[in-house]
Amino acid sequence: MGGWMGKILDINLTSGEILTKPLDMALARDFLGGRGLGARLLWDEVGPEVDPLSPANVLIFAGGPLTGTGYQTSNRFSVSTKSPLTGTVLDANSGGYWGMQFKRTGFDVLIVRGKAASPVYIEISPAGVTINPAAHLWGRRVMETTSILGQNNNKRNVLCIGPAGENLSRIAAIMNDGQRSLARGGPGAVMGSKNLKAIVVEGKQRPEIIDQELFKYMLYESRKLLKASPLTSQALPEFGTVVMMNVVNAVGALPTRNHRQSQFEHADDISGEALTEKYLVKNEACWACPIGCTRISKTEKVEGEGPEFETTWAMGAQCGINDLTAIIEANALCNDLGMDTISAGSTIACAMELSELGLLDSDLRFGRADLLAPTLEGMALRTGLGAELADGSLRLAARYGRPDLSMSVKGLEMPAYDPRGMQGQGLLYATSNRGACHMRGNMLGLEVLGLPKMIDRLQVQGKSSYVILHQNSSAAIDSLVICKFTNMGVAEEYFARALSAVTGIKYATGELIKVGERVWNLEKLYNLREGFTRAQDTLPPRMLTEPVVEGPSKGWVSHLEPMLKEYYRARGWDDEGVPRAAKLEALGLDQLVEAVA
Amino acid sequence: MIDERIYQQFCEIGRDLYTANMISSHGGNISIRVGDRVIIKRRGAQLGNLKPHDLIETGIEKNDSGVTLASTELLAHRTIYMRTPALAIVHCHPRTAIAFSLSRDEIVPIDNEASYLLKKVPVITEEFASGTPEMANKLADALQSYKIVMLRGHGSFAIGQTIDEAFHWSSTLEESCQIALYAKLINEPFIEYRGMTQGYTKW
Repeated sequence: MGGWMGKILDINLTSGEILTKPLDMALARDFLGGRGLGARLLWDEVGPEVDPLSPANVLIFAGGPLTGTGYQTSNRFSVSTKSPLTGTVLDANSGGYWGMQFKRTGFDVLIVRGKAASPVYIEISPAGVTINPAAHLWGRRVMETTSILGQNNNKRNVLCIGPAGENLSRIAAIMNDGQRSLARGGPGAVMGSKNLKAIVVEGKQRPEIIDQELFKYMLYESRKLLKASPLTSQALPEFGTVVMMNVVNAVGALPTRNHRQSQFEHADDISGEALTEKYLVKNEACWACPIGCTRISKTEKVEGEGPEFETTWAMGAQCGINDLTAIIEANALCNDLGMDTISAGSTIACAMELSELGLLDSDLRFGRADLLAPTLEGMALRTGLGAELADGSLRLAARYGRPDLSMSVKGLEMPAYDPRGMQGQGLLYATSNRGACHMRGNMLGLEVLGLPKMIDRLQVQGKSSYVILHQNSSAAIDSLVICKFTNMGVAEEYFARALSAVTGIKYATGELIKVGERVWNLEKLYNLREGFTRAQDTLPPRMLTEPVVEGPSKGWVSHLEPMLKEYYRARGWDDEGVPRAAKLEALGLDQLVEAVA
Repeated sequence: MIDERIYQQFCEIGRDLYTANMISSHGGNISIRVGDRVIIKRRGAQLGNLKPHDLIETGIEKNDSGVTLASTELLAHRTIYMRTPALAIVHCHPRTAIAFSLSRDEIVPIDNEASYLLKKVPVITEEFASGTPEMANKLADALQSYKIVMLRGHGSFAIGQTIDEAFHWSSTLEESCQIALYAKLINEPFIEYRGMTQGYTKW
C-alpha cells in the first residue's frame, strides 16, 4: 500500500477508550485523505441533530496520501468537524511539521469524540497512545503550552488550543508547531468543548512510495517549475504572502473599513515591501517546502511568524489601520490566544462600524490601532467588550439589529478580496461550503495574477466554469494534502502523477479533479442535510447593492444572481442548489441521496 | 447573448491561428465552456475572420437549435467538456506536427520550451478522424491525462482554462516540431542538455 498507512486511531474522551481501526481503502481511493476523507467520515459521524459544541461532535485530523512523502509542501493535514461558527461542514488545514509527524505515527486519521471530565492532552508516540491530565496546561497560552510539551520540529510536534478555544470562542483556532493554525470556522472551540488541550505526536514510520522512479521525476519537474515561477521563487520568499497587498489594492479589490471601500489609501504602509524592509528577521519554511513564504517578524515587543496577507489586511485595511507594528503584534497575540485572525480582524471592523453608527457603545473607531490588542485579549478571554465580539461578526451585528454589517457568508467572515472588484471571487464566496473562503478555489490567480492566464475580473458570463474548476481542484489539493501555493507554479497534472507514483494507483488529471468534485458535492449534501438552502448562497447586502465608490472598480456591485444561476446548472444541481440524482450517481454519491431527500 | 469580451477572445485567437499558419482558411475550431453551455465557431466560418454571427451557443449535453449551425467537431468538443476539466478547446492543423504524427505514436519534444511545458504528446489513430463518437471518446480519454493530443494525420486538440492557454499548448507543439524537423535536417549527433529525460516517456 503506497501513500496511506492504512489505520485510523479513534479516541473517545468520555470513556477513555482508544481504538485502532483499518482504513477503508475504497473510501481512501475515492476521497484520498485530508478534507475529502474527513468530510466522508464526518457524514457518517455527525448528523444534523448534533450541537457543534456538544460531546457528540467529533474532530477528525487527517493527512493525505502525499503527506509526509517529501513531495513539495507535503507537510499539511486538516481537521474536519461541524463548525460552531457556521453550523456547516468544516475543514481547516495547516502546514508546519505536525502533519508530517502525525503520519509518522502510522495513522492516516485521528478521530476524537466525547468529552473528558477534566482537561487532558493526547500523546501518540512509538511508546503508545495515552490520554494525560492537562490541568497544569489549561489557561496557558499557545507558545507556552507548545514549549512545555516539548515541541521539536523534526521529532516531536505539538498541536494545542489557547484561551480562545478553552473559552469556546466560535472563532477559536487550533494551533500547531507554535504559530501555524487550523483557524477558520472555530475548530478550536470544538477542541475546548472536549476539554482537550493538546495533541502531541512523535513517530518513526514512513509512507511507502510505490513507483520511486516516477516520484523522483515528479519531484524534479515540480522543483523546476517552482524555481521558474517568479511568484513562488521570488515574490513569496522575499515578501511573504503580504506581497499581495499592493497587487490587490491596485486593482480596486482590497476591502477597506468593513468593505465600505475597495482601496486602502495607506496600503503601502502595510505592504510586503514595508514588512520586509522594517520588520523581517528571516524567512522560514514548512517541512519539504522549497518556497519558504513564512516570515519571522520582529517589533520591540514581539518576534514570531507572520503576519500573513489575510491577517495584515484584516487587522489593517479592514479596520482602517496602517500601523504595521500594531498589526504584527496583534497577529502574534492572536496566535498566542489561538484565534482566527481573519474573523477576529473583520469582527473588530464590524464593531468599529457599529460604534461609529452609535449602535455599539465602545471607543472602537476605524484607525484605532491602540485598541486592537486589548480587544483581542477580551475576545479570547470573554471579558469586557471582547465578550461581545468573541463569537464573530454575524452574532455581534445581529445583536445590534444590523446583521447586514457583518461581512460574512454563512457566518464566516470574508477574506481580503472584494467581490465587487472580482466577480468570480464573489460567486466563490457565496457558494463556498464552509462559508466565505479564499482557500476554496481562489480566483486571485485568474482574475488578478493571470495564473494560468488572465481573465477579465469584471466579466460575469462564464465565471461559473472557472469557479467550479477551481473549487474542485482546491478540494482535491486539500485531500492530497499539499499547499495551494504549490499550485501557483505546478499544475494539477503533476499532482495526479505524483499521487499515482506514491499510491501505485493510476490517477489521470481528470480523475483527480473528479475527486475534488466528489468532495465538493458531498460537502454540499452535508450542508443541505443541516438545513441550508439557496438563501444562504449569497453575499452581504453591501456587496449586492452598494457600488464601489472610487478606484478601478468604481460603480461595480457583485452580479451574483446570474452567476449563481449559471453555477447551479453547470454543477448539475437544480435551481435550488440541490445536486441532481444523475450528478450524484456519476460521482458515486447516490447512496447518500435518501439522506437529504 | 454572447458577451462582447468572449467574442473578442475568439477573434484574437482565431486570427492568430490563421496568421501562424496553424489552420487553412476555413479549418480548425475553438470553443469555450460557459456553465452548462458551449460557445463554438459556426460551421464553415473562417477562424481568421470571425463575425459576431459566427459564434454559436448550444448545450454541452442537451441539443437545441444552435446545433444546426455548429462546427462539425461539436461532438468532440462536447465529449471533451463532459469528461475532462477543460474550459476551452483549440483544434487546429499544425503542419509540422501533423507530419510527425504520420510516423510516430507519441511526440516527445527535444527543445527546452516544449519539454518544460508538454513533456510528451500522444498520437491517436482513428479511421474516421472527424466528427465521430469513436474519435470523440478517444480524444476525451487521452485529454484526461494530457493537455494536448494529436489526431494522426488530422491535427491537434488542446484544452485549457482559457482559449489562449489552449492556444499556448498548440503553438508550443508546432514550434517544437519545427525545431525537431530542423534538427533532423542538420543531422548531427544530439547532445542531451536536460535532466531526467528518461522520465519524459513515463509522462
